[in-house]
Amino acid sequence: MSLPPEYANPPLPEGINVTRTHPLADFARLLGGVAVVVVAVVGVSAVAAAHLARFVPFSAEAAAVQRFERVFPEAGGGPVEPWLRDLTARIAAASRLPSGMTVTVHYVQEPTVNAFATLGGHVVMYAGLLEKLESENAVAMVLAHEVAHVKLRHPASTLGRGLVLGLALTLVSTATGSDMVGNVLGPAGLLTVLSFSRRQEREADEAAAGALATLYGHTGGAPDLFRAIEVQRTGGSPPAFLSTHPLDAERIAAVESLARARGWPTTGATRPVPPDVRAAVRRATERAAPGVVD
Amino acid sequence: MLVTSLEIIPGRRVAKHLGLVQGSTVRAKHAGKDLMASLKNIVGGELKGYTELLQEARVEATARMVKQAEAVGANAVLNVRYSTSSITQGAAELLAYGTAVVLE
Amino acid sequence: MDHFNLIVFLGLLLLGYVAGRIAESRHYRSIRQREAELGDVLVFASRFPPDFRVRPQTLVGGSVVVGEDYFKSIVAALQKLVGGRLKSYETLLDRARREAVLRMKEEARQKGASMVVNVKFQTFSIPGRNPNSLRAVEVLAYGTALGPAMPRG
Repeated sequence: MSLPPEYANPPLPEGINVTRTHPLADFARLLGGVAVVVVAVVGVSAVAAAHLARFVPFSAEAAAVQRFERVFPEAGGGPVEPWLRDLTARIAAASRLPSGMTVTVHYVQEPTVNAFATLGGHVVMYAGLLEKLESENAVAMVLAHEVAHVKLRHPASTLGRGLVLGLALTLVSTATGSDMVGNVLGPAGLLTVLSFSRRQEREADEAAAGALATLYGHTGGAPDLFRAIEVQRTGGSPPAFLSTHPLDAERIAAVESLARARGWPTTGATRPVPPDVRAAVRRATERAAPGVVD
Repeated sequence: MLVTSLEIIPGRRVAKHLGLVQGSTVRAKHAGKDLMASLKNIVGGELKGYTELLQEARVEATARMVKQAEAVGANAVLNVRYSTSSITQGAAELLAYGTAVVLE
Repeated sequence: MDHFNLIVFLGLLLLGYVAGRIAESRHYRSIRQREAELGDVLVFASRFPPDFRVRPQTLVGGSVVVGEDYFKSIVAALQKLVGGRLKSYETLLDRARREAVLRMKEEARQKGASMVVNVKFQTFSIPGRNPNSLRAVEVLAYGTALGPAMPRG
């Protein structure tokens, strides 16, 4: 068998139909680039959401939340709620809330060491946290912090940001068709949100320290709150960038440096929590199963 | 380099047949264009983004095929064919192939 | 944060990368070796044989399905956000196409042929679980083998 001599198949060079780059370098570049874009998009939309939330009238927010008011615990009688309400009213006055903005405080008889502010000016205080605080000033710091969140419209901007982030992640996941890409980029977006969350906490701390200074003439008692939270934490705290709140020591230092800058005394006479309130709180935490913490 | 879908070039004799050469590429448009295309799909009509994508891919595949032909010392590629396949959503594979020859 | 998801993801990514790289370089080595061995079976896209009297003229073909690895799929998914060349799939198709040609040549040699003309390709992508992802790609190469009796031209 023989072939006509003008027919041949010279060997073809390698690498013409492929791109010679290192796959890991490609991966790093792509992941980095996409993560930067996601973080930038989430960042910009978070700022936009935070800004826009301020233009939503507080009355509209409160009206929207009214339907869900049943989720908040009803006043159960006893000395704690009237005391908290009175303290909150004084703090609200000291915080110079805009007209039409109201703060409603709810007391939950559970041992969880927590307090939070949510949409519609609702502030929730758990017995677990109250039980750790010995002075009225420390309790006032908690309430002032939550009132500041309400005043600065943080719950609304957090909601807007959450919606934006969820939408962004859905878009990325659908665009790439991979949940796993979403799983990796999700944390990148979450880190941005956490950093905004930490900024909100710092803003709230500063506003709360101001309210405390107005109310008592000094910011004493504020560090007690952070120390109480710190003692409560077990197993070490996460690094700052993984946390919703700035670290406790940082918060104490931040409040103290702010007080120095504004000329507020950082110490002064503190008022104790009324004995009947403390007794009621202790009963509430003892009744619940001990050790069940969030 | 003569690239043609003809089998025979009138008036020119093939001095050497150098075999099958091919060029291929896989390309995608960025997510924004995919989104635009899916919106455009509601009303139908030409999806310019994808036309562009396939055109770019075809140009690149042809260039790679020509590179292979040059490497074997050809001066023409005859009987060129294109084949397109959709690899995944929004990504297309373009293949161009033909016979590398030396024309007299 | 869901650490479990992240760990599973990174584990699959590493496994896909390492196993995929090993498989790919082994495949390329075998392709190059067999291309050298089968170098005397010539392939052309031209439709006309050098001599129409050559008998027999039989249809030969070779096909292969090459699957993507996890790493390739993730890189491609990210690349699709940005646009441009999906480099991780280029090697996949290059391997598949060369393998298909090799299998076609093997069949031609078995039939005693020394030449395949009018070679055509067909690519079929086997979709993954969702339309956005590729599971594997099939490449078919086919043509007409000529021989074994080739009269002197």
